[in-house]
Amino acid sequence: MRKKECVAMLLAGGQGSRLGVLTEKIAKPAVSFGGKYRMIDFSLSNCVNSGIDTVGVLIQYKPTLLNRYLGTGAAWDLDAAWGGVHILPPYATQTGGEWYEGTADAIYHNIDFIDEYDPEYVLILSGDHLYQMDYNLMLDYHKLMNADLTVAVKTVPWEEASRFGIMSVDDEMRITRFSEKPKEPDSNLASMGIYIFTWKTLRAALLADHEDAGSEKDFGKNIIPTLLGQKRALYAYVFSGYWKDVGTIPSYYSTQMELLDPKAEFRLMDTRMHILSNLNEAPSSFIGEDAEVSHSMVCNGCEIYGTVVNSILSPGVTVEKGAVVRDSILLPDSTVGEGAVVEKTILNERSAIAPGAKFGGRNVITVVGDGSTMEVEA
Amino acid sequence: MNRTIGLITANYSLAGFGTVGEERPSASIPFGGRYRLMDFALSNMVNSRIQTVGMITPYRYRSIIDHIGAGKEWDLDRKDGGLYILPGTIYGFRENDGHFLFRDFQQNRRYFQISGDYVLASSGTLVASIDYQPMIARHEFTGRGVTLLYRRADPEARKKGYYLTFDDKGRVTSIRHDDRGEYLFLDSFIMNKALLLRLMSDYGNLGQMDLMDILGMIVDDIAMEGYFFDGYVAEMDGISGYLRSSLELMDRSVRRELFDPDRKILTKIHDTPPAMYTADSRVRSSLVAAGCYVEGAVENSIVFRSVRIEKGAVVKNCVIMDKCVIKSGVHLENVICDRSVTVSPNTSIQGTPESPCVLPKGGVV
Repeated sequence: MRKKECVAMLLAGGQGSRLGVLTEKIAKPAVSFGGKYRMIDFSLSNCVNSGIDTVGVLIQYKPTLLNRYLGTGAAWDLDAAWGGVHILPPYATQTGGEWYEGTADAIYHNIDFIDEYDPEYVLILSGDHLYQMDYNLMLDYHKLMNADLTVAVKTVPWEEASRFGIMSVDDEMRITRFSEKPKEPDSNLASMGIYIFTWKTLRAALLADHEDAGSEKDFGKNIIPTLLGQKRALYAYVFSGYWKDVGTIPSYYSTQMELLDPKAEFRLMDTRMHILSNLNEAPSSFIGEDAEVSHSMVCNGCEIYGTVVNSILSPGVTVEKGAVVRDSILLPDSTVGEGAVVEKTILNERSAIAPGAKFGGRNVITVVGDGSTMEVEA
Repeated sequence: MNRTIGLITANYSLAGFGTVGEERPSASIPFGGRYRLMDFALSNMVNSRIQTVGMITPYRYRSIIDHIGAGKEWDLDRKDGGLYILPGTIYGFRENDGHFLFRDFQQNRRYFQISGDYVLASSGTLVASIDYQPMIARHEFTGRGVTLLYRRADPEARKKGYYLTFDDKGRVTSIRHDDRGEYLFLDSFIMNKALLLRLMSDYGNLGQMDLMDILGMIVDDIAMEGYFFDGYVAEMDGISGYLRSSLELMDRSVRRELFDPDRKILTKIHDTPPAMYTADSRVRSSLVAAGCYVEGAVENSIVFRSVRIEKGAVVKNCVIMDKCVIKSGVHLENVICDRSVTVSPNTSIQGTPESPCVLPKGGVV
């Protein structure tokens, strides 16, 4: 058996209830983002670009699309003879079956999976962040510090600190305290939900936590505080690059709209960061005779006969004649009918706007799905 | 168990493609914004549930292998069957209408002995969306030795190719190379494998001929039928035909047929980011691929992946292949830019639809 130095575990089982209509039928990491990507692409691509070739994807909520999308992992070069992408759902045992109760519980139930690869380190990721990161640098830091756990953190403005999980550190970046959404933060280092554990430490902590009936089996609420209490070596790793949590409608919307800026901090066009996806099969987009497309991002497979301004069109979108799409994000295979007007709207996958209909336009973000619509304060 | 194996020929070059044809085997000529001509033959086969496909390569096959690799994008990386690279003989057909060089078949005799009862052959430059399933079923049902795909041609127009005639029972009575006729052979056929192997033995000394010429010689001895195709075919008769066919993709019905979502045309995946249109861009009646950055004006043109069209540039009736950079103030009309061409600021180049101007690969103009 060949040993892997580091195995990544990607938490993809959450419902993502804050995305409402968008996660009605699919898990949050499968939600379309930035046109031709799905949220999970960014973490998966980071893994591949960091040379981590073994990724367990923990699924639970509405996994059908996610499973199909991941397939063999070939789209990310993760179809390996030893390693690659593994989809890890909850499973039954001789004593019955259990759902994953929390983030730590999901890993607990897959201890055997990780043991198969006999890794020194385990990288814990989530699938709803937009960022590019070389995990190797974080792993080097983890080794240098001889840490049990390294938590990636991002400096956030002090006034926003109370919205995050905040890590307090000493002069050597050793974590002294962890507080979830503190009212009066004493640090502005926010946890990015990216952890590197020394597997031996995590393994023992998971086994102990499982025996604790009062535990919520969550990394932030249980595992990290326990390890802190045991005076383990917990370090913060400050990440200075671009990073955005896109798990709410306002951030999902605004983060994508920022991609339209040619000077955007996160540049999809940047060839140095190769973001891989599995939505690549559509023909080129057609821009019709009377069409107008400006300040927009258009994926393959679109047919545009109307007007598209300041918008993102995912693969396979059709905008019919006379339709106007403004400040909107149209998800894969959605259609805007003839003469319809769509403003500041997120149109869900495969949804259609009837000819002549009007959506959005006020100072809210309108999310339109199959037969259901919601409005969210921007 | 699939009884039909596929064969795609690419050991020839199309006439009249100038530098576009010199740079690469004709099957590798880029088309439609993100495809190469061979993608259509490959996709038609796998969309028709052919799981074993042999590709006869020309001597200079780098771009073909680079494109198809192990056949992954076409689901041809199989344990059972899959993609077979079949080396063609050293001199293929150059700029004539032969696409089925007999000695290429002979040299790869072993491939035809692998499995299956029928061989479905297509040239690597046949651009159409063809469902071969009914044609295969018909071939099996009639029990003829060969079924030839054909379409109706305009008897008044001149077009070189192989023309067929039929008797009133639908049996092929002649196959001849000509520049006009009523029924034009469409570069694709199904043949009983036993018959093909027998021809290889019986006509071993005719290796330099096109298989169609040999079939024409023995048309009275072998039962052959035609199979009529009335769908869209992109004509690849020289560079002006290439430009015309490219611009025919602006027709919604052509695109719907050629790029039917249920019969996808598959190609090598590049993971290019979405195309960006700035506030200054003006794009009309054009097909634009992923990864492009458009600041200028584009009209009635095909723009391939990762092309940059700067502010104030005007591109009209053009085919701009991958990674070209069209600088500001450039004016291009009826121009075909091969891959990675840079057109310097304020350059004006005009061709005509009959004689488009071709800028060779990698050049700076």
